[in-house]
Amino acid sequence: MIYALDSVSKVYLQGRTRVRALHEVSLRVTGAEHIALLGPSGAGKSTLFRLLNATIRPTHGAVLFEGRDLTNMTGRQIRAVRQRIGTIYQQHNLVPSLTVLQNTLCGGLGRWSLAHTLKGMFRPQKPDLEKALSAIETVGLADKRHARADELSGGQQQRVAIARALMQDPDVILADEPVASLDPRLAEEVMDLLIQVAHENQRTLIVSLHKVDVAIQRLPRVVALREGAVEFDAPSSQVNPTLLKELYSTGTPAARKEKNESGFRNEFNCLS
Amino acid sequence: MRAASGMNSTASASFAAPSSRWVTPMRLVVALGSAAFVISWHIIGVNLHSVFSLQAAADTWKFVSGLFPPDFSWEFLRTVFAATSQTLATAVAATILSIGLGLPLAIFASANLWRRGVLVEAEQRSAGAAVLSAMSRLTRAVLGFVRAVPDLLWAILFVTMVGLGSLAGTLALAVAYSGLIGQVFSDVFDAADLQPLEALQSTGATRLQIFFRGMLPQCLAPLTAYALYSFECCVRAASVLGLVGAGGIGYEIGISLRLFEYGQVLTLVLAFIGLMAITDALSRFLRGRITRRSLKTATGQRTFPKLGRLGTFLFSLVLVIGVGGSFYLSGFRPEVLDQQDLIRHATQFLLGMMPPDLRPTFIYKMSYLVLETFAISFIGTCIGVLFGAVLSVPATANLVFVNADETARHGALERSFRFLLYWVARLVLNFMRAIPELVWVLVCILVIGIGPFAGAIAIGFHTAGVLGKLYAETMEEARQAPIEALYAVGARPFQVLLCGIWPQAKPMLFNYTLLRWEANLRVSTILGLVGGGGLGQAIYNNIQLGFYPQVATMILLVYVLVVATDWAGDRIRNYYWQNQAASC
Repeated sequence: MIYALDSVSKVYLQGRTRVRALHEVSLRVTGAEHIALLGPSGAGKSTLFRLLNATIRPTHGAVLFEGRDLTNMTGRQIRAVRQRIGTIYQQHNLVPSLTVLQNTLCGGLGRWSLAHTLKGMFRPQKPDLEKALSAIETVGLADKRHARADELSGGQQQRVAIARALMQDPDVILADEPVASLDPRLAEEVMDLLIQVAHENQRTLIVSLHKVDVAIQRLPRVVALREGAVEFDAPSSQVNPTLLKELYSTGTPAARKEKNESGFRNEFNCLS
Repeated sequence: MRAASGMNSTASASFAAPSSRWVTPMRLVVALGSAAFVISWHIIGVNLHSVFSLQAAADTWKFVSGLFPPDFSWEFLRTVFAATSQTLATAVAATILSIGLGLPLAIFASANLWRRGVLVEAEQRSAGAAVLSAMSRLTRAVLGFVRAVPDLLWAILFVTMVGLGSLAGTLALAVAYSGLIGQVFSDVFDAADLQPLEALQSTGATRLQIFFRGMLPQCLAPLTAYALYSFECCVRAASVLGLVGAGGIGYEIGISLRLFEYGQVLTLVLAFIGLMAITDALSRFLRGRITRRSLKTATGQRTFPKLGRLGTFLFSLVLVIGVGGSFYLSGFRPEVLDQQDLIRHATQFLLGMMPPDLRPTFIYKMSYLVLETFAISFIGTCIGVLFGAVLSVPATANLVFVNADETARHGALERSFRFLLYWVARLVLNFMRAIPELVWVLVCILVIGIGPFAGAIAIGFHTAGVLGKLYAETMEEARQAPIEALYAVGARPFQVLLCGIWPQAKPMLFNYTLLRWEANLRVSTILGLVGGGGLGQAIYNNIQLGFYPQVATMILLVYVLVVATDWAGDRIRNYYWQNQAASC
């Protein structure tokens, strides 16, 4: 069991108003599963990722990683866990003034001592350098390795973020909208890359996506979030257009329910 | 194929982008900096034994323990109140005078009105116009000179001219700040939108009419904001001026220190900090109002509430009494001004400085002092950078607290420890910053004696406060997203500092440090007036001895030094910013 979430809720304080980002989410991830996370914007996908990589704490409930409660750990333990979870952020989250190589090397920080980090700022150790370069090679940016991150295009930055995750060599890869800012061909490539990387080392992969067809085609399991709650959690083969239409429809739950009922009536009318 | 060749060539690649040149700008800066450091260290005779000795520790302890308890006796509080109000009065009177003096000069120094552009283009190229243009240029140069000479130097000159007391301080500040006001105001005038002025000119308006009806209304908001800021600086300066005999809080601090009444010193310093805090808050509030008003002009909102007839009367009454009282307190009193020999004495002093002593032998003798002044500012800045950098780390909120969720993860003990660390660091930085350099000099002299080393340490302490606060604020402004990503990798705060915050903040930190060094050079020319070495000490001695032509030369040297540093600083900054994108 990699992840176990039991009715986890997260409430943010935005000024004086309380924003409910996640509401009683329960989720089980066993072994090297590949999961697509679907849901409209603001459904709580990014919040879920930040809970899964131990950046934030749930307001209620517990997030268990390999059976251990993430909310009840010392700083050292939490860093050890984070080191095993690689996150690829929607906005790439690269350090803008560092080069591709330097940004990639940052993936190793969790394993390094302070002295090692300091030494690495001037001359990285050979094993680190080789690992980083092979990660850059994998994402196809070898010729750009000395370019600054803020000089790259969105797609290239995305690939640097993946290289950083590869450098980290994690057991779990969390990718938040990794293909949102890419054209269809690049999106295909990046998805291939992620799935290939996950397959190779038996890693768990959780990808949030806006492109429903990509999700259903490429990943065996789909978890759908809507307004901070799990709408459905099913094998992709069982996901049908009705479910998806439901997921992305607008309006409050009450209004939807009403619409549903009228929909049923319509069907009924047709039948009669 | 491409991939294979890429691997081979990069296996031995260094971390930084490869450079073919052996001499890189970075290496050059490091080499020059180290050389300057070693030479400066030598020149000011840094004596670490005098700092890290039992004697020094005992002296420091004697001073620090003497500070407590502060003297809150009724008798002394009356003195403090009188000194504080005198300082405030000096600042008010000096600001009014400096605006009265600086505004006309600023108008005359404005390039758009007299020298170039659409308003003068059509005019005949007569001799009169040429003279006017040359005069305007000259005014600008004079303003530059007045501004470059530090306010404390003006103070000691005026003390010599009109005698001890707050009149000298007021006049000195009025002159010093008229340079600043004149320069900034004329910059504001030159930034005005010219199109409305062109329209006014086409109606046949005269130059001054154009100024009053077209230019001034455009510039009123920034001018007022700047005048308020200048008042703030004036209060700070007025408090310090007393150390060279110009009355106010500084004068009392000097006396109490000489009498070894350290409890009184602490009371006075607290009064100074309080005065500064109130002035800062008031000025910031008013400036905020003014700039916000000028941003949304169309809303019809008033900057300040409308007063009724009674309100206007009372407000004017308070204003008149306040301003009149300020002038009275700051030395514009009949019995002060009526001294028969005031004018005679002043002219005698001014004429005595003419002509300046420009003999090569004398200037050669002075060159060592210039070098010493430079060395004080350099070592002082280095000390400031060191202490400021160390203190800025615990004063950076996103390093100490990480984020709200992270903080909640820690135990109560660690949480309170972090809280304490952060606030102690902030408090120490604010305290170091609040104490002016000259007061630090007097304190340092108590422990390590008169001389350039005391000056360098004094600059170092004040700079540590200023830079530490700026460093912490810059690091807090770094983009949060990459920092979150690094924490998510499992990085510790120190690694996040090195790999996430430092690369982002580096350019701004460099910029602030360089600007502070420029300011410190200006300060190091005057530290000697209270015993901190450098040119200031020589100026003080020569004034005491009545060698006025030599004093004039030294003032010119200060001017040259300040202008040269400003120029060099600008060049370095430009070069650095241009090369930011290329190599980091």
